Amino acid sequence: MSEHRRIAVVVNGTPYEAEVETRKYLAEFLREDLSLVGTHIGCEHGVCGTCTVLMNGVSVRSCLVLAVQANGAEVMTVEGLATDGQMHPLQEAFREKQGLQCGYCTPGMLVRAYELLEENPEPTAEWVREGLANNLCRCTGYQYIVEAVLAAAERLRGSSVAEGQPFEPATSSRTNQEA
Amino acid sequence: MKPAPFNYHAPSTTEEAVGLLAELGSQGRILAGGQSLFQLMNFRVVKPENLIDINPVSELDYIRVDDGTLAIGARTRQSALERSTEAARHSPLIVEAVKNVAHPSVRNRGTVGGSVAYADPASELPAVVLTSGGEVVLTGADGQRTLSAGDFFRGPYTNACSPDELLTEVRLPRWPDGTGHAFLEFQRKHGSYALVGTAVLVHLDGESIDRVAISLCGVDQTPVRASRAEDLVRGNVPSDGLFEEAAAEATSDLHPLPDVKGSAAYRLKLARVYVRRALELAVSRAKGERP
Amino acid sequence: MVETREESAERKWVGKSIQRIEDPRLLLGRGGYIDDMRLPGMLHAALVRSPHAHARIKSVNVEAARRLPGVTAVVTGEEAAELCNPMPDFGPDPTRHEWRCLAKDKVRYVGEGVAAVVAESRAVAEDACDLVEVEYEPLPPVVDPEAAMEPDSPLVHDALGSNIAYEKTMVFGEVDRDFEGADVVVSDHLRWHRSSGQPLETVGAIGNFDPGSGMMTIHVNSLTFTSYLFMVANTLKVPSNRLDIHPHPAGGSFGSKFWAVKVAIIAGMLAKHTGRPVKFIEDRVDNISNSDHHGSDRTYQVELAATRGGILKSLRVKVVDDYGAYIQFGVGHHGNALAQAVGPYRIGSLQYELHAVLTNKCQQGAYRGFGSEVQNWVLERMVDLMARELEMDPVELRRKNFIQPDQFPYFIPNGNLYDSGNYEGVLDKALELSDYESWREEQRRLREEEGRYVGIGICTAQERSVFSATEFWFWFDEPAAPVTSMPESVTLDVDAMGNITATLYSCAFWGNSPETMVAQLVAEEFDVEPSQVNVVYSGTNQGLPATGPGGSRFTVMIAGAVQGASKKIKDKAFKIAEHLLEAAPGDLEWSEGGVAVKGSPDRRKELSEIAMAAHLFKHSLPDEIESGLEADQVYDHPYTTMPSEDRKNLGVFYPFVGHACHIPVVEVDIETGKVSFLRYTAVHDAGTVVNPRSLNGHIIGGIAQGLGTALLEEFVYDESGQLLTSSYQDYLIPSALDVPEVVVGHHETPSPYTVHGIKGAGEGGRMMAPAAISSAIDDALRPLGVRVRELPATPERILGWIEAAQAQSSS
Repeated sequence: MSEHRRIAVVVNGTPYEAEVETRKYLAEFLREDLSLVGTHIGCEHGVCGTCTVLMNGVSVRSCLVLAVQANGAEVMTVEGLATDGQMHPLQEAFREKQGLQCGYCTPGMLVRAYELLEENPEPTAEWVREGLANNLCRCTGYQYIVEAVLAAAERLRGSSVAEGQPFEPATSSRTNQEA
Repeated sequence: MKPAPFNYHAPSTTEEAVGLLAELGSQGRILAGGQSLFQLMNFRVVKPENLIDINPVSELDYIRVDDGTLAIGARTRQSALERSTEAARHSPLIVEAVKNVAHPSVRNRGTVGGSVAYADPASELPAVVLTSGGEVVLTGADGQRTLSAGDFFRGPYTNACSPDELLTEVRLPRWPDGTGHAFLEFQRKHGSYALVGTAVLVHLDGESIDRVAISLCGVDQTPVRASRAEDLVRGNVPSDGLFEEAAAEATSDLHPLPDVKGSAAYRLKLARVYVRRALELAVSRAKGERP
Repeated sequence: MVETREESAERKWVGKSIQRIEDPRLLLGRGGYIDDMRLPGMLHAALVRSPHAHARIKSVNVEAARRLPGVTAVVTGEEAAELCNPMPDFGPDPTRHEWRCLAKDKVRYVGEGVAAVVAESRAVAEDACDLVEVEYEPLPPVVDPEAAMEPDSPLVHDALGSNIAYEKTMVFGEVDRDFEGADVVVSDHLRWHRSSGQPLETVGAIGNFDPGSGMMTIHVNSLTFTSYLFMVANTLKVPSNRLDIHPHPAGGSFGSKFWAVKVAIIAGMLAKHTGRPVKFIEDRVDNISNSDHHGSDRTYQVELAATRGGILKSLRVKVVDDYGAYIQFGVGHHGNALAQAVGPYRIGSLQYELHAVLTNKCQQGAYRGFGSEVQNWVLERMVDLMARELEMDPVELRRKNFIQPDQFPYFIPNGNLYDSGNYEGVLDKALELSDYESWREEQRRLREEEGRYVGIGICTAQERSVFSATEFWFWFDEPAAPVTSMPESVTLDVDAMGNITATLYSCAFWGNSPETMVAQLVAEEFDVEPSQVNVVYSGTNQGLPATGPGGSRFTVMIAGAVQGASKKIKDKAFKIAEHLLEAAPGDLEWSEGGVAVKGSPDRRKELSEIAMAAHLFKHSLPDEIESGLEADQVYDHPYTTMPSEDRKNLGVFYPFVGHACHIPVVEVDIETGKVSFLRYTAVHDAGTVVNPRSLNGHIIGGIAQGLGTALLEEFVYDESGQLLTSSYQDYLIPSALDVPEVVVGHHETPSPYTVHGIKGAGEGGRMMAPAAISSAIDDALRPLGVRVRELPATPERILGWIEAAQAQSSS
């Protein structure tokens, strides 16, 4: 018994039509059928948030949504963030602040952060931290992710944030610290 | 961790959904938000042969006030409830409670009806419906019936729906103006399952409490109403001693299901603390001392 | 052993927080993780897992599974034992302790693989797993390690004749004399439960076997040190020169992908069996229950002796470690503990008694610290207890016992070496950054005025780095091997345009930053921009000897390799430049990415000009110069020595030892037992820092993991050996709201023995946080007489301790 349905879905602005097995969840469909492998699979039971994508503008665990349920929907994945070869300010800020280490939770984090900034362009650190608690990261302890989202918010508001410096200046002494 | 195969049905109306339930009988399983069901299916703990997806049933997506009753369609997303000003005016308790359900991305899919129907004894919304004196509307091929929350929750993950019925609406009566509310729960970490939760509504007549409702989740086979504790509180002037007494009474005859998250004894201790804290918070809100 | 410290070095790139080379592809969703890879004709595998902790396998019926459309093959444990030899094993007695990729004859823990299914999709493979019928004869489960040690206990491995896989007592120095002469002895019983790294990406592999050439290629996200791959080849029954393992970036490891070769072996076995590429990616339940990488699970009886004046004299440790069903790495975890067993203190003697026990649980592997983090916790628990006993300030007791800066290099009682350090410097910086004194004031105020239970913790402990692997075998009376060098290698290749490619061997990216580090190190050597350096990973078949990350060794080792390879290239570049510039050998210097005549900076050749000459115009150059401009460097462990035969001295085996001081401020809700954070300060000394921002990220992330170990994470097996925490609903990983903002500081004391003075630093956060947080909880609950003796300190446990203390004080 293996039932299939034909679905039409717009992912990152591109329309797709596909025949999918009804039991295939959305993350698998994105990865296998559309080769959009930026959406990663972490726990497959909705806790870790690694597979977070936007569906019709709101974030969902794509391991807990069927591909057939995305029929007619608009989906955004990490691959939809960068445009014309330019990283999204969130991606730039994650890079600058080293808001990632292994990178595996990063696509889900970026999508969640994108949703957060859509909801509130002027967030506080506390608000961002609470919003990011939606997704697990095992590497960073979250601090630099929070910093990155705040930096991106500032940039998206168009305030006077310097262009991303490729390299930070040297620390002046043999001892350095940061809060 | 992929689900076993199933036949997928996507009715677009309540009538179609109920018709499918009647046709498939125990072979059919309602898929609402899927945030619990897909977990179980991915683990292959359950392998339904037929899923009846009510997500396309948009007529069950509403939050409205009928005759002083807050009526929430079963397919209403938890995140919609969380943001509803109508719901916040009418039942700030359920809005406070729903914010404790898992994580935002889960609430973006999870539904109010699904959460109530799932009847997880540790879950937030069933406790709120019970506290509020709410009802559920069940729709079957032969029509509708309305059950009080107390009659609906039958046991762990067990409700009073017959196999051909669909929970279509959750109804919460309005409490008088000036009612203080509190939903508090204990999670070991943010967003994880609650060990214990408490939903409290309190109304003051002058100095003393004239109406009160206290429910707990995570402490027995179903969400439970602490009626004897309510009796103890009702008619009295709030005080630390009264809250402490009520908390002791509320937790005097519970039978928590122990699991790896917490022993029965620990859940009882937590419940006592949380009933007291929720009463304190609800009363302070009733007095207008806290938002 | 040579001292390589460069006193005068003014570094241009080492020490800068450059943006990571790895990040753009990760941020764009093009990380290239193992599950992103698809090969033509590829099939998918899933495992049938044991539901029993301990059972004999009576029969396995795979007929229905084989008949399911889409299924290519089903391999039972019995069949796997024909296809493969036993798994590689570094344990004490591999001949009597057989570990196989799929269980044969009997299962030894819940989750152990019993059969493997290969199908056209993972979903169909799982459908078929559901159809495999296994008949088990349940055996009494061995769950409690103390009971497992009894002579009448049921046996996990019948051939061993005992569940005690290994036991030994080592004595270093005059322990009995020191205890007899001590004024004060404190003792305690401590318990550390099992947890694990739990990276968000599980272990995965794609096997691909070419029956024509006999070549087995396996793509993996685990670490498979090249030098030991002959062992994997033996398991797979392929010649060692026909096995090629391709490392892939990993979505985190934290130890859990260290030599995690079972998944690779299963994928390889199934590929050979089916003649098609086979992908096997663990699902989360596999990864939790069958990863071979649970962390330490220890029960301690510890005694610490001191003078009345607070001079620490001697430490006695008795530890029972519940290793689970197999013991792949022997007791190397305790070698790690021994590397820094006396911490930063001048403790003159040490007794270490180990009982390594087999039970019906997932076996231990590696988790950030590799067992040394437990020793840090134990020692710091005891130092806090001693401070309480002596009524001394815990900060001052530590300060009084620190090894002093002028005592380095310092040999600890068991013979390991601490290379350098300034522990008071770290402590003072931490006290300052944490506002220690004002928090003490605030703590008093909150306690008196608001009845709140706020505590300030302290941990001053070591971070050993760069193993030489003797700690795996010095336990055994017969040397299993002479001293190992655990090399790391690099090839630097300057192409005709002067662009540099660095090839790494056996190393995949794990969330550490090998590409960034190597780019910075190469840029330092050649005075070029790091962005000009391309870093690639080689398959093992053409590989140079390499060990890869683990034990915080990679940056130190690769720095040595890069320096060596760079020197070879620069030597050749100078020779070519001498010819091109018609200069004498001594007249040239490396300058701004090229070679210039000293004092005449205009007379110079860029690296690209030299490289073009080297690649294309050999015949214009002196005869002895061959074409090309590349160099290999195999870099061996720079400082390790043999243990003595009587094991009274273990030699130098983990010598580059960092230090850290953590000061958390917590509040405990005494009605629920919940712990929350008000502040967290961490000061580390990891020698010369290569990329401060990256290092801080590792420290903060390590603290989050240590916090999980201290408060949240535990694999719970019930008395029947069922694993109760096989999902993330029950195994609690800290979220952004569960971890504090951390203030990080550094105090750099370079190592005299490593290139640039670097020490390893990948594990420090988790090696400190459990001790620091325990100390803070103690401090908060001191008025109630509570002391943390078990981790994780769950709210339920804390409440139980409070009640027990109250019952005791009222009785």
